[in-house]
Amino acid sequence: MKKMNEMILEVKDLRKQYGSREVVKGINFSVMAGEIFGLLGPNGAGKTQTISMLTGVVEPSGGTAVIGGYDIRKRMNQVKKINGLVPQDLALYPTLSARTNLNFFGRIYGLRGKALKERVEDVLRVVALTDRADDPVENYSGGMKRRINIAAGLVHHPRLLFLDEPTVGVDPQSRNHIFESVMRLNRERGMSIVYTSHYMEEVELLCHRVAIIDNGEIIALDTVKNLIAMLGGGVIHVGLNQVDEALLARIRALPGVAQASLTTRPAPPPANGGEAADTLTIAPTHPLVKVEARHSQTALINLISFLNEQEIPLVSLEILEPNLENVFLHLTGKKLRE
Amino acid sequence: MNILSIAFKDLLIFFKDRGSALQLFVLPLVFIFVFSGLGNVGASETAVTRLPAVDLDEGGTAVALLQKIDAAGGVKTELMAQSDAQTQLAAGQIDWLLTIPAGFSDDVAANQPTALRLTSHPDADEAARETALLVIDGAAQELTLQAQILTSLQMMAEMQGSTPGPQVFTTEVIQAQAQSQFEAAAARPLISINQTAPGRPDAETAAPAPFSGPNVTVPGFTVLFVFLAAGATALSIYNEKKIGSFRRLLAAPISKAELLLGKMLPTFFIALIQVGVIFLIGVFLMPLLGMEGLTLGEDPLAVLLIVVVMALCAAGLGVLIAAFAHTEGQIGGGSAALLWLMGALGGAFFPTFLLEGFLGQAGKAVPHYWAGKALYGVLARGQRLPDVATELAVLLGFTALFWLVGVWRFDFD
Ligand SMILES: Nc1ncnc2c1ncn2[C@@H]1O[C@H](COP(=O)(O)OP(=O)(O)OP(=O)(O)O)[C@@H](O)[C@H]1O
Ligand SMILES: [Mg+2]
Repeated sequence: MKKMNEMILEVKDLRKQYGSREVVKGINFSVMAGEIFGLLGPNGAGKTQTISMLTGVVEPSGGTAVIGGYDIRKRMNQVKKINGLVPQDLALYPTLSARTNLNFFGRIYGLRGKALKERVEDVLRVVALTDRADDPVENYSGGMKRRINIAAGLVHHPRLLFLDEPTVGVDPQSRNHIFESVMRLNRERGMSIVYTSHYMEEVELLCHRVAIIDNGEIIALDTVKNLIAMLGGGVIHVGLNQVDEALLARIRALPGVAQASLTTRPAPPPANGGEAADTLTIAPTHPLVKVEARHSQTALINLISFLNEQEIPLVSLEILEPNLENVFLHLTGKKLRE
Repeated sequence: MNILSIAFKDLLIFFKDRGSALQLFVLPLVFIFVFSGLGNVGASETAVTRLPAVDLDEGGTAVALLQKIDAAGGVKTELMAQSDAQTQLAAGQIDWLLTIPAGFSDDVAANQPTALRLTSHPDADEAARETALLVIDGAAQELTLQAQILTSLQMMAEMQGSTPGPQVFTTEVIQAQAQSQFEAAAARPLISINQTAPGRPDAETAAPAPFSGPNVTVPGFTVLFVFLAAGATALSIYNEKKIGSFRRLLAAPISKAELLLGKMLPTFFIALIQVGVIFLIGVFLMPLLGMEGLTLGEDPLAVLLIVVVMALCAAGLGVLIAAFAHTEGQIGGGSAALLWLMGALGGAFFPTFLLEGFLGQAGKAVPHYWAGKALYGVLARGQRLPDVATELAVLLGFTALFWLVGVWRFDFD
């Protein structure tokens, strides 16, 4: 078992630019050996671009990263032997069988003969598709394709596996199966994993640490627990007919309340990575107060009795569950996905 | 080794596709039989040659024949009285004379073999006579063969229709292309042409070697088919990018050179297999069916060399197309149309290098022309390697150019 304090990946000011548009804006993070590290962000955040740079699929425009001790700008060929990539698309040859696909991907990593055969059988077991291995991939169900897609990134036993949204369009059964496989690879084989997703439940379940990425920038990075703790005792959204600064100040003074501020109704994440500012201009139908609680139950009781006493009608009330989805909402004012 | 792994995988994919079998085996088979042993005619708009003609038949088919000859473009017929024509020919005032025999229309209608006669003055220009001969021939074949052609087209379309997935040939492309190209195509020589010299009206001169047998027609469409293999490379690169497996290849510890070579190698093999298939049909199958067989000429080694260079050139062209074509339409229909057009321009259906004027010149811009000319020289004219050195050199030049530009402009993203 690898020690957790050994770094397998260190990203240093990594950038990617297309024309004048910077899609990855100088990000920094590191992944420890044996860690499952999550990259959580909405569509177009730059997750795939980041992974593509780290795996040698595209050239970084700036910055670099060190993987297994090798600089990706100088020793990409060494890095490629450490990396395994499971692309977001089903990158398989549809008319070939799963076994032929896996054989091919093993061969391009230099595996031959008996070693290759053993590895292929091994990964088929990992994704539990041994008995369908000789069917053409095009005849598989969506979930099975996803599983073979993962297997194809595992044949050469990478030390660092990049899983780019491996559960998109997958039924719950296959999804659970994928989770189990990922956890088993990590636990039993000590494989370090970078896992991207825009499903916060997955990231909460699987990842030791998470970087929340939006618009090409990392806006938060910590353990799931610490990130959720950012919400403090919780967040309560209160819809009122009229709000002024005086009212906000009185709410702030209530027991259990840490902060109260006017907020906008959560907007969907911007389409194709457009400017986030555009979506924030959508006016709510009524003012919304975001109450950050030190202790949500205390805050809630006091808030409601305060509104009652003042005869201020309550238009809406929402208690945000302490989860990553709401951390993202809290940080960006946007929903992770719509 | 990685190159071979990639190439092997691509060949597996290629042979699992039914469109590939069509391209590799069925189409050449159709071509070789449809074209059996006859040169065919494309239109030339610039070089207009005067063709005096005598119509002893005066039937509708004779008139249609003359119209078709005129419509072909390279030649303009001029009806004359038989006596006048013969006097002028003997005096050298006209270079040659086409005679349509009495009963021609009836014979064609009854599916009876009949012969046109082309009489030439001894001083007549050889290349111009060949052109005239080809035009007449094409027009003659067209008269009788439309039905047969439509049948074979329908057959191909049906086979296409049953093949799923995007491929180099789409039904529309193949029909449009084949239809336009086949319009002047020929099958069995129902109407033959006897060539005679004046003064000996019934003594046939031996038909010149270049215009008989599959050795004349095979070079042209061998070139066409070899270069069609380029479409398969372009398509496989496109598909690889589309499904995303290209990312996997880029993430694997293989160099970009290995990756590209691995994608080119299958074209090379497919092209060789293609030639093998055509030559096997020509050399072995055709004689078995009682048809004139293909021979490999005086210098089989030269044939091999030409074929290999041609296959390399096609591989380069495949990468070049992949580098410049970005949409599914450009890759599928577009590149197929381009390759058929290049083939036609380069002499796949008619040896353009025999033509003067625009068509003869335009052909020089495509590698097909040089490959076709070299192969034609070796197979149909009995030339040897040194005789086709220039053509081979130009073909190598094209090959180098395609490889360089293709690799230089190739988009790995
Ligand atoms: N080849 C390219 N040229 C120009 N822009 C690109 C290119 N590839 C990606 N982008 C842009 O980079 C940004 C980040 O894309 P990326 O694919 O990394 O997002 P993502 O976080 O993976 O999103 P998703 O969850 O939808 O997969 C997007 O705005 C995208 O439009
Ligand atoms: Mg992505």
